[in-house]
Amino acid sequence: MRKFKLNSDQKELEPTQEQILRYKNFNSLSENHKKLTKRPKKPLYKDPKMFLFIILIGLIALLLFS
Amino acid sequence: MFSKRKNKIVYSESELIELSKSNQQHFGALYEKYFDTIFRFVFKRLGGDEAVSGDLTQQTFMKAMVNIQKYEDRGFPFSSWLFRIAQNEVNLYFRSQKTNKTVDVNENQLKSVLEEMDSSSNMSMENQEKLIQCINNLEPDQMDLIELRFFQEMSFKEIADIYDISEANAKMRIYRLLEKIQKNWNK
Repeated sequence: MRKFKLNSDQKELEPTQEQILRYKNFNSLSENHKKLTKRPKKPLYKDPKMFLFIILIGLIALLLFS
Repeated sequence: MFSKRKNKIVYSESELIELSKSNQQHFGALYEKYFDTIFRFVFKRLGGDEAVSGDLTQQTFMKAMVNIQKYEDRGFPFSSWLFRIAQNEVNLYFRSQKTNKTVDVNENQLKSVLEEMDSSSNMSMENQEKLIQCINNLEPDQMDLIELRFFQEMSFKEIADIYDISEANAKMRIYRLLEKIQKNWNK
């Protein structure tokens, strides 16, 4: 929640160019974006543990619905 | 004479948006163009909290980058889409805070509200405090509109673009809010 408060100091609230540049970084944004949207290199079914897990889920589903 | 000069292609904004959908690196030009504007907007909305403004601005561009595929040009400027994302980010931030965050407003900003209300009241300290109290009693989304118009000094057209409504509708909403403030003021 936010509330407004009277500021008797008449100065306009403006960031300086220095403050803006401190946070302007497209490379870091791009890196974070890559991390966020990166697909796993190996498909899940190629991982032996995941393969067994998928088979197990499939068998349970088959038992439940058959 | 023999030196090879690379001709840098200058893309229009709509071309950059389309290119960004297939190659994220093109988003960099949009980032460069709008970062300062969005940072200023967030900074003012947060009452000058620099570090949080930086984080929320980056978060805004991250969301824009992830969702650029969904962006459709419906005749509104691209910046209004970014403002909308930033507005949501700031509201989410305010909601996540357990304590009330205070945002400073100065006398000139309050004066513009009072002028628009067509009030004959003078700007005494007591009246300023009373006006702030009336604004603070509004719903958060209503406060947003007042803030955009009077504290961020946006035009009706810019507000309309952010909310994806007509300019007349934006005007009507704001004048209704001013009437509401006036009513509370006279109580």
